[in-house]
Amino acid sequence: MQSVRRRLNNKQRTRTHLSFFSNLLFEAGLVARSLGDYFAGGGLRLGVTGLSRSGKTVFLTALVNNLIAGARLPVFAASAEGRISRARLEPQPDDAVPRFAYEEHLASLEGPDRRWPESTRRISQLRLTIEFESASAWGAKASSLPIDIVDYPGEWLLDLPLLDKDYATWAQETLEASQTPARAPLSADWRAALKGLDPHGGAEEDTARRIAEFFTAYLRCARENVYALSTLPPGRFLMPGDLEGSPAITFAPIPLNPDDPIPPGSLAAMMQRRYEAYKTHVVRPFFRDHFARLDRQIVLVDALAALNSGPAALRDLEHAMTEVMRAFRAGRASRFASIFRPRIDRILFAATKADHLHHTSHDRLEAILRALTTRAIARAEGVGVEIDVIALAAIRATREAEIRHGGETLQAIIGVPEKGETIGGQAFDGVAEAAVFPGELPPDPMSIFNGEAIARPEADNDWRFVRFRPPPVARGEPAPQIRLDRALQFLLGDRLA
Amino acid sequence: MNDRPPRPRAFRLDDVSVKVDDAAAPSAPTATIASQYEPIPPATRAGPIDEAELKVEAAQKSGLLSRRRPSLAGLFWSGLAGLVSLAVGLWMTSLIEGLFAKAESLGLVGVAFGVLFLVGLAGLVAREIYAVARQTRIAEMHVALANARAADDRDAARRLVLKLVELYRDRPETARARAEVEDATRAIVDGRDLIDVAERALIRPLDEKAQAEIATAAKRVSLVTAVSPRALLDVIFVVAQIVRLVRRIAEIYGGRPGLFGLLKLARSIGAHLAITGGMAVGDSVVQQLVGHGIASRLSARMGEGVLNGLLTARVGASALAVCRPAPFGVIKPPGVSDVAPFLFSGKGGEEAPTGAR
Repeated sequence: MQSVRRRLNNKQRTRTHLSFFSNLLFEAGLVARSLGDYFAGGGLRLGVTGLSRSGKTVFLTALVNNLIAGARLPVFAASAEGRISRARLEPQPDDAVPRFAYEEHLASLEGPDRRWPESTRRISQLRLTIEFESASAWGAKASSLPIDIVDYPGEWLLDLPLLDKDYATWAQETLEASQTPARAPLSADWRAALKGLDPHGGAEEDTARRIAEFFTAYLRCARENVYALSTLPPGRFLMPGDLEGSPAITFAPIPLNPDDPIPPGSLAAMMQRRYEAYKTHVVRPFFRDHFARLDRQIVLVDALAALNSGPAALRDLEHAMTEVMRAFRAGRASRFASIFRPRIDRILFAATKADHLHHTSHDRLEAILRALTTRAIARAEGVGVEIDVIALAAIRATREAEIRHGGETLQAIIGVPEKGETIGGQAFDGVAEAAVFPGELPPDPMSIFNGEAIARPEADNDWRFVRFRPPPVARGEPAPQIRLDRALQFLLGDRLA
Repeated sequence: MNDRPPRPRAFRLDDVSVKVDDAAAPSAPTATIASQYEPIPPATRAGPIDEAELKVEAAQKSGLLSRRRPSLAGLFWSGLAGLVSLAVGLWMTSLIEGLFAKAESLGLVGVAFGVLFLVGLAGLVAREIYAVARQTRIAEMHVALANARAADDRDAARRLVLKLVELYRDRPETARARAEVEDATRAIVDGRDLIDVAERALIRPLDEKAQAEIATAAKRVSLVTAVSPRALLDVIFVVAQIVRLVRRIAEIYGGRPGLFGLLKLARSIGAHLAITGGMAVGDSVVQQLVGHGIASRLSARMGEGVLNGLLTARVGASALAVCRPAPFGVIKPPGVSDVAPFLFSGKGGEEAPTGAR
């Protein structure tokens, strides 16, 4: 008996040694990569992310379109001063990463039926080179700045904190989160499947697959538009891509006693192994090949969907933002690597779809985003990152108007709501233009967190945000935008000085 | 809930009962929609840094905060300076060698003097570097505080105000003000308000001191000019007084300018005078010259005295603006008539506005 335990201990020890070596190897890989980047003289790497449906693709398409078309962007200093001579797309330098399908997305926006482009399902990249004249130092000097824009799902960002968590911790946290009042009804099926499960029983593929399916169904359901929950790692469960059905994403948290050692060959051991495999084969490569190489990051947040859903969804979004920040921190935990590695020095949190509100409400939207990210920003203290928060619309789908109705004067917006959207009993067909008053956001941003409700019916909310169709634009001209220029100034301004 | 905010609602523009802009309206429209065409303001959080502050910052940039960029003149001067110091070094070694050749004891005395010279030089250089760094830090603090105030940034304000307190740590007379400001940093105060609190508590007494200093200098200059027998003498006196005044003001606000610090400061003050020149001509000098003060009617010398006094007061006011570690927020920047009202009272240098010596 004792010898068995000793052997187990030994085994555990070798495992920690192994993980130490693999960590070291991992760090060394990072350093090599960053040195390689340094000598290859790559340009600025700009990360664009956000949870699904936050408007990443639209943002990126609009950004590239504005720069290439040479649109006047008053707040973007280099453009306002007329120092940008040209911006052009270049062949994508990383051969193993898909190219961002800019032309297709633009075509779908500008096409006759004006559809929002397909959403981001995987990482993609685009190289844009800006030719400009520098206004500093030795007088006018022509330079060019290659920008590698990396677009990836925000869900992957939420995976990064998993790197520091072992299986037992993660399982416990996920189980606890699934029992909160907001999530309990959504996760009921999955938790029922866990009942009577023996973690120390034999590892059967069938059982594992069954609970993983229930778990995935729970995550998918929570992501639905009506619930709009945000913190749902592991991200690949929502967007499996070519991993569909592979063991690395066929696991789920099961209740474990943290003090008990996990016996080999058991169901728990299998889950643990797969969880570690997920980290090794999915999370780490993403971190090493993409995330750790970014210089600037914009995080797009769809606060409006969460506002439509209710306080619980907003709190969940806040939690997700804090976790995102943990991801940015995760990269710096080790002293060794932080010396060599290029680091993110500016992060912009942007509330997208600001055009769904009248501009007099933008301040309140920004205040809400600020409230959502306060904890995240507090986390970034001491990391040496510059952070800003704005409300923007990369493509402005509406114009503004004033409605006088029943003795009230309302600040409203005019646009074409998407087919199937409803507001105040009025349903839309996706063709007719309508003047929409979405309601007033509360003056005190903290008040949105009060309550437990989720997927609230329209009548319970003081606001209702509908989605609009893309605006008709003249061919070749970029669509109007709101504060896209300010975002560009924050993200790129100093490199184009 | 009676005072529930207005409910969300929508109106189709093709609805016949809705009046849109100037389109033909039904007799009793249920709702009227008026399009708005004003562009969306670029930034909702406007940063209203006022013009006077921008001028001060521009002045600081051209002197205190100027970044040294290699220029042709710079190359020329540094090359020349290098050669001259090499020549001096060569001369010194040959001198000492000569001394040793004459007598060993003489050589040792020469070496001793050489060591004294080097130690003194190193000390001077170190002090100079420290002084310039300190002056630069104050100027940077000024810019940062102005930005934090404009952005109402609470975290930045807290950090900067604590730095400001640290700057005056070795001044016993600011003990009470420092305690007050530190209390404010711990309370829940917005960024802008926190900076205002610090300005009122910490900077205002220093402002008063600096203004008293300007008044004394202006008075002295106008008096001496009025009675001095030769023009050259009062030019020298005015310059000396102004240098002394600038130095004093910098010291009051926590800087300790040495030679180079003073040169940088002088460049900033010059820039500030040039930038704000137009305004000042408008308010005081023209009034003085065109309207003819009583003093200048009495005698030409007296008039010159007043003019020199004015000049001193203006340089003093500029020095005050440039040396101040915080921008003018709640406190109005002093004009010439604030610091030296006696120049405008028509009584020459008789009446002292402040009790401070």
